[in-house]
Amino acid sequence: MAAVETPSNEPGTNPSSPYSVLVVGAMLLVIASASYVVVPEALAKVLGGVGSLLPILIPALVVGAMPRGRSMGVRLALGAIAALLALFVRNMWPGAETAADPATPPVESHTLLSWLIGLPFLGAAAILFLPRQAPRTLKAVTLGVMFLSLLASVPLLQVSMGREFHFDQDVVWVERFGIHYHVALDGISLWLVMLTVFIMPIATYVSFGSIETRIKDWCFALLVLQGAMIGALVAMDLFLFYVFWEVMLVPMYVMIGVWGGANRIKAAIKFFLFTMTGSVLMLVAIFYLAYSYSRASGGQMSFDYFELQRVMLPHHIQMWVWGAFALSFFIKVPMFPVHTWLPDAHTEAPTGGSIILAAVMLKMGTYGYMRFCMGLFPEACGWSAATLGGVSVLGGILYGALCAWKQDDVKRLVAYSSVAHLGYVMLGLFAATPASMAGSVLQMVNHGVSTGALFLLVGVIYDRRHTRMLDQFGGLAKVMPLYSALFVIVALSSVGLPGTNGFVGEFMIITGTFVSNRLGHVNGIQAVGAALGVILAALYMLGAVQKMFFGKVTNPENKKLTDINGRELIAVTPLIGMIFIVGLFPNLLLEPMSGAIARIHDDYSVRTENNPAPKFYAGPIKLQARRPEAPKPLLKAPPADAPATDKAPAAEGH
Amino acid sequence: MLLAFALSPLLVVAIGALLLMLAEAFSKVRAGLALGTAVVFFAGTVLSAAVWLYGLENVPNLGVLAPWLIIDRFSLFFDALLCLGGGLAALLAGGYLPEHKIERGEFYSLLLFATFGAMMLAASGDFLTLFLGLETMSIGAYAMTAFRRTSARSAEGALKYFLLGSFAAAILLYGFALLYGATGHTDLAGVGAGVKTGDHAPMLLIAMVLVLAGLAFKVSAVPFHMWTPDAYEGAPTPGTTYMAVAVKSGAFAMLLRVLLTCFGDARSMSWSNGWPPALAWMAVATMTVANLIAGRQESVKRMLAYSSIAHAGYLLVGVVATMKNPGQGTASVLFYLLTYTVSTAGAFGTLILCGRNGAEAVSYEDLAGVGRRHPAAALAFSLFLLSLAGFPPTAGFFGKWFVFRAAMESGFTWLTVIAFLNSVLGAYYYLRVMVFLYMREPAAGAPIATPMRSGYVNAALLVSAVIVVLLGLSPSLSLDVAVKAAASFGG
Repeated sequence: MAAVETPSNEPGTNPSSPYSVLVVGAMLLVIASASYVVVPEALAKVLGGVGSLLPILIPALVVGAMPRGRSMGVRLALGAIAALLALFVRNMWPGAETAADPATPPVESHTLLSWLIGLPFLGAAAILFLPRQAPRTLKAVTLGVMFLSLLASVPLLQVSMGREFHFDQDVVWVERFGIHYHVALDGISLWLVMLTVFIMPIATYVSFGSIETRIKDWCFALLVLQGAMIGALVAMDLFLFYVFWEVMLVPMYVMIGVWGGANRIKAAIKFFLFTMTGSVLMLVAIFYLAYSYSRASGGQMSFDYFELQRVMLPHHIQMWVWGAFALSFFIKVPMFPVHTWLPDAHTEAPTGGSIILAAVMLKMGTYGYMRFCMGLFPEACGWSAATLGGVSVLGGILYGALCAWKQDDVKRLVAYSSVAHLGYVMLGLFAATPASMAGSVLQMVNHGVSTGALFLLVGVIYDRRHTRMLDQFGGLAKVMPLYSALFVIVALSSVGLPGTNGFVGEFMIITGTFVSNRLGHVNGIQAVGAALGVILAALYMLGAVQKMFFGKVTNPENKKLTDINGRELIAVTPLIGMIFIVGLFPNLLLEPMSGAIARIHDDYSVRTENNPAPKFYAGPIKLQARRPEAPKPLLKAPPADAPATDKAPAAEGH
Repeated sequence: MLLAFALSPLLVVAIGALLLMLAEAFSKVRAGLALGTAVVFFAGTVLSAAVWLYGLENVPNLGVLAPWLIIDRFSLFFDALLCLGGGLAALLAGGYLPEHKIERGEFYSLLLFATFGAMMLAASGDFLTLFLGLETMSIGAYAMTAFRRTSARSAEGALKYFLLGSFAAAILLYGFALLYGATGHTDLAGVGAGVKTGDHAPMLLIAMVLVLAGLAFKVSAVPFHMWTPDAYEGAPTPGTTYMAVAVKSGAFAMLLRVLLTCFGDARSMSWSNGWPPALAWMAVATMTVANLIAGRQESVKRMLAYSSIAHAGYLLVGVVATMKNPGQGTASVLFYLLTYTVSTAGAFGTLILCGRNGAEAVSYEDLAGVGRRHPAAALAFSLFLLSLAGFPPTAGFFGKWFVFRAAMESGFTWLTVIAFLNSVLGAYYYLRVMVFLYMREPAAGAPIATPMRSGYVNAALLVSAVIVVLLGLSPSLSLDVAVKAAASFGG
């Protein structure tokens, strides 16, 4: 697929709407028949062997139904994508694997996650030794490594997840301080890792169409970024997490600063300093937590997530430590009032960088809040949930939507819509019901897919017109019919049209929030605000769509625009496919994560109910029992209910 | 014989310096001088490692040197560290001096003698040897600053450094004199015992303030830092490197020895009474002031000078952390010095690499576009800057981590938070260099920086980069070494 080169002035791109209808129809057919593959076995029996042949038939259909003018390479690539998506649906269907696999569960490789982290880094090292005069080789190697990562991540899907952590690997790194290289994966990080390995090749592939300069540096940054992001998602040692968290910053900083727009340097520095301010405070908190652990355990050092989870901090300390973690994550999400770096960063970043930033990097904040804040400091989370839920509705969902509404720059609009969408995710986490949390995780994936696709499509028009101002466009549907159709699909999924992914996530969050008892006295009002946000989303998104695509072609520069080319079509198709797959079969994603969600919810409920806010716990720092789901510790842990040692100095560090 | 073995790191540097002077006087070939110096330093490092591995407890009669010289693991650690810093500076000089046509053999002798002084400083257990070592080191540094004879900046920096340095030395001596008057001892251990009895309290207090002022000058802590930017800017860059890494390390060795041995008892180490509060505020002022001023600099060299002041502030945080936990605090300072040495030497080294004769890279503008034209140099520069900024997974990150952790565990949470916020300030100006390296192009008509070609400089950078990455990935071994060095130290 990497070698597909399509001339941009191909004949099929003239405005002929029947063709685009055909393509979209073919895609819908893909989805419909994909669902057909997995409908009850009775039907499959009726069809005999045809059912299992469908993953071959669908791509054949796609390839055949393509309008004239698309080259064979594009056809084959789209066919391959369709086949992969159909296979994904068939194999992920609940109960399908029992038919496909014998009774023996697949063997979990303990080094698989390390390969997923290491492959991109190895690729980045290899890039350093390739000549910069050979851009094709560089691109091929980069994409090859990313596809290899995608391939290597397939075994992750074959494990039935449940409540536990899987693919656990624990190696001592710095013995003196109890720092381990500890990676593991549960049902939540599974989908974010999958999202990363899924989005990265797409972002990379589409970026090769617009990035002209310094290909080598670009490829290097992309690979380092991928490795660091996956590392941050699977790190189960807080020190290791911090390392990946910080390593992630540099490539994105360079991407914005080198390949960005006119104000790129200011945006890059703003991005870096905002994020770093949060993360150094988090580092202090990590210190403090580990220090508390060593005091409570009688001198044993550990940065292990499952060990630090046992630490019970008194409320006046826990609030500060939690605050440092939360601030760091809120900046990354970003939540109002620390969101101001995001519109600048997105506006200036190149298309590929925007896709990665929106689709994966922002999820680090929500993931971090879920994993670390809710896992390590449930009491403080519960204590603050009502207030922060209000902030995420007013400052995130509503304010973000209103800001998006007022934007003239379509990319800035999408950036503010991210603020609104992530407001939903955070609201779902604050509400902390199983449904709302599952909706949050689903919405993280959805936002990655939809907003990634939006940024991709905005990049398409920017490459042609070198402007993103809404008033420069109008009537594009006549000039670029296929592009317009795709844009409308993605915009509707972002709004949350039923049948697309956005609907499922937002619906689950809103219903989950409505029944939550953690959001203060005015119970349910947050859900009303969130529902209002959906209306606002329709307002700004459809308003933009209307301004861009419908009406008359007023600007003469728009008359000679070419429709979406093969490269862009190949890049956006998997995203469109995922929009419908998640929208129609959300259970494919919800099933593997349900165990992990239940675990987090149970832990969270037990701790918050046993230690009610506001003075949830006043006593000395103590350790609790290790969680039953935690992987076996590498080193012998002290007895489960070790009391706080009296030797610990009483004075707090003030 | 074993005694000579234990002293061999010191001896090899001293004898090497003398031989090198002879060689310089009688030989017309200068090309080998840098190599010779580097070999001597390398021998010093290897010998200190050998003595360390052999075990000082196996050397009889070490006591005959006391109290003049104390050969313990602490001093051995500094021997190796100073030789490393000196060796890197020598390699950089081997490329820089010929390129800028100021190669004269004295520079290498100065390097060796100053390092000898610094090693003596780290090993001294008496005010007399301490002062001797201090002056040997300082005079070398003064001369290095003034090395570029035709440059007015060089002369200005050297004069400032020399005058202020002499004052500081005098103040330090005055403090020593008062300590002698109060306790009747000139050896550190004796003074420490005298201080512990608590007689002559006002006199001791004045003496402590004077000693602190003198020491703070040598480590260039705010408000005693005024000489640093001028001296660092005026000196030829290898000299700057040497001052930033080796002279600073030597000064910190002295600081730790004096403070922990003389004023290390419980009473004067308390938070309300003694040097820790003064030093803590000095650390806060040093970090904050230096970081704020560094952000405003237009010259990268001057920025790195301020950054070295800021790093002195971080190191002081580690020194303050010795209050509750001398072993861990000291170990964190030692480890930080190691990471700081390689990162700073690398940063100055890449700055040297980016310039040519007549077109030395000094300002940010000079570095514009280097990332595009010379990716290897820019990548190396970025690595060292990220390490200085304390970014994982580089050496600097672990350095900061251990220092701040020690401070946190000694109960200085507020100091740790300030130190962390300062590292964000620091990130701003380190990143600014990366902005120019990668994101800017030189203005039209501006001179374009072309890197020099020198095996010496490349070797120095390679060594620094390897150590930076190694310490960033697996700091365990060197950390153990630092902890052992700190533990063997009497404090």
